[in-house]
Amino acid sequence: MSDTSNNYVNFFQAKKGIKSWIFTLDHKRIALLYLYAVMSFFLVGVLLGLLMRLELIAPGETIMKATMYNQTFTLHGVIMIFLFIIPSVPAIFGNFFLPIMIGTDDVAFPRLNLLSWWLYIAGATLALLTLVVGEGPADTGWTFYAPYSVQTGTNVTMAVMAAFILGFSSILTGLNFIVTIHRLRTPKMKWFNMPLFTWALYATSWIQLLATPVIGITLLMIVAERVFGVGLFDPAIGGDPILYQHLFWIYSHPAVYIMILPAMGIISEIIPTAAHRTIFGYKAIAISSLAIAFVGYFVWGHHMFTSGMSGPARIIFSILTFLVAIPSAIKVFNWTATLYKGSIEINTPLLYTLAFIFQFSVGGLTGLVVGALAADVHIHDTYFVVGHFHYVMFGGTGFAMFGALHYWFPKIWGKMYNTLVAKVGFTILFIGFNVLYFPMFVLGLLGMPRRYYDYLPEFTLWNQVSTVGSWILATGLIIVIINLINAYRKGAKAPVNPWGGVTLEWQVKSPPPLHNFDRMPIVSEDGPYDFSEEYKQKIKQA
Amino acid sequence: MKENEIQHITSFREHFSTYVSLVILTIMTVAVSVFGADLLSLTVLTAMAIATTKAVVVGYYFMHLKYDPMIYRLLVGIVMLLFVVFMILTIFDYVFR
Ligand SMILES: [Cu+2]
Repeated sequence: MSDTSNNYVNFFQAKKGIKSWIFTLDHKRIALLYLYAVMSFFLVGVLLGLLMRLELIAPGETIMKATMYNQTFTLHGVIMIFLFIIPSVPAIFGNFFLPIMIGTDDVAFPRLNLLSWWLYIAGATLALLTLVVGEGPADTGWTFYAPYSVQTGTNVTMAVMAAFILGFSSILTGLNFIVTIHRLRTPKMKWFNMPLFTWALYATSWIQLLATPVIGITLLMIVAERVFGVGLFDPAIGGDPILYQHLFWIYSHPAVYIMILPAMGIISEIIPTAAHRTIFGYKAIAISSLAIAFVGYFVWGHHMFTSGMSGPARIIFSILTFLVAIPSAIKVFNWTATLYKGSIEINTPLLYTLAFIFQFSVGGLTGLVVGALAADVHIHDTYFVVGHFHYVMFGGTGFAMFGALHYWFPKIWGKMYNTLVAKVGFTILFIGFNVLYFPMFVLGLLGMPRRYYDYLPEFTLWNQVSTVGSWILATGLIIVIINLINAYRKGAKAPVNPWGGVTLEWQVKSPPPLHNFDRMPIVSEDGPYDFSEEYKQKIKQA
Repeated sequence: MKENEIQHITSFREHFSTYVSLVILTIMTVAVSVFGADLLSLTVLTAMAIATTKAVVVGYYFMHLKYDPMIYRLLVGIVMLLFVVFMILTIFDYVFR
């Protein structure tokens, strides 16, 4: 293997034609298949969100009727949760970089990996079919709360089956990653030599594997009730609607950690690279990922404070919820401590990272507000909650995802984007995001309920601010995406290691060769973020 | 990969007695639901205990957990514990409602 020559075959060139993509077993190609599919659905979800904001620009009916509004926010939720944010970071960047970061040539089960993608496509197709079949898409909200989901005439069964299939896709990805991390690490990579993105994926995978089956069963129970009239959740036929909420949130609360943990992993990668120093509190960050995953299993009841759950249960769940703040805060403090006195290079990925820390902190701290039993009784089901989870999910995971895209773009495609345009796009996106979602906190505290297409006249001003914010955000998004597409088409050749990163993916060529490594990767004994001169010399000499 | 390649040959006797014990446990479940139905939550508890025993027997003998390294038994144990905690937390709602 002569790695001095430039004419190696990268994974794009290894094979050609559509079949070489949709039946590929290469983790990098599967990652890109996910990228294109997930981003397409993201844009659909954004479009639905823009339509909702447009409806809310003035009180009364503006552009759609109540039922259609209900269907719009349901589809927005289903797409954003099941088709975008759950698969986004693990299936795209996890697939692409997990094997490379631990120094191996693929995931443990490449065929299973491909199956996951096909299941994703099958589930997505089913979700979209609800648009054109029968009574139209479900109008229940993405939570499918019973008994309404059992009674409504819209396509709940189909939407639920879509979520069921998508769940399997997620489970298989989790299983694949767990086995890969346990079995395929390059010999010198001990557990505490793994990059923190890998740790985050590991914790996430356990949630995917252990929590997702619960929602699978629950969704099947809805189908059983709708189709065969089994009395499980509908009180009219002897069921218990609160049982549904228990089962649903036993999955769906851990699921929010499927969404945020990998994003935190990305942040833990970008920060040491941008600060050119080893991460502060490596073990604390690694273990806190596991701690978040673990504690996250026992807090689901905080979604049910006002649904008639018993008093003692409410108090217990409120206390347990506060525990999650501890490992989350450990991460935030360690990130800021890493930046402190580092030689920081303010590049685009770092800008997204800083936005993540700010927005995630706002989202996380408002999470404590809604997690506090007494406060939640007042703001449950108001716009405050909508503001809270968009700050965490979009302001957190969404921004981390775009940060990752800018961080690893030169590695994936071997090309560089226009950094000035990227920074301008980021700035507009950041402003748009905050103008769009911050008013929701105010509206919520004023008492505006969520999921209504209409509102009282006194809420008009803040709703209009929010809608204008959605246009700013969309502008930023368009600039960011067009800039990346331009880079893909005609960007300048990127150096192998544009940011000066030290994790293993920066040792392989850009784009990586088919089997990732031409020679044994060089692992530092001093952990994955070894910025010492000796380690750099060692890599150079190899 | 080594530990996966070892062939475990289990005796007919062991397989059969596992099978018989599963059948007996199943009969017990049915019996409890028929004759002990008026004991209410006690019936449920007994049925759950029997089901747990069955799961352990299947995992240990049929799924060869007994040949696997300790770590796998530990992992299965954690998952079971997780489920138990789910149940306890949920029952906290139902008992005090
Ligand atoms: Cu939650």
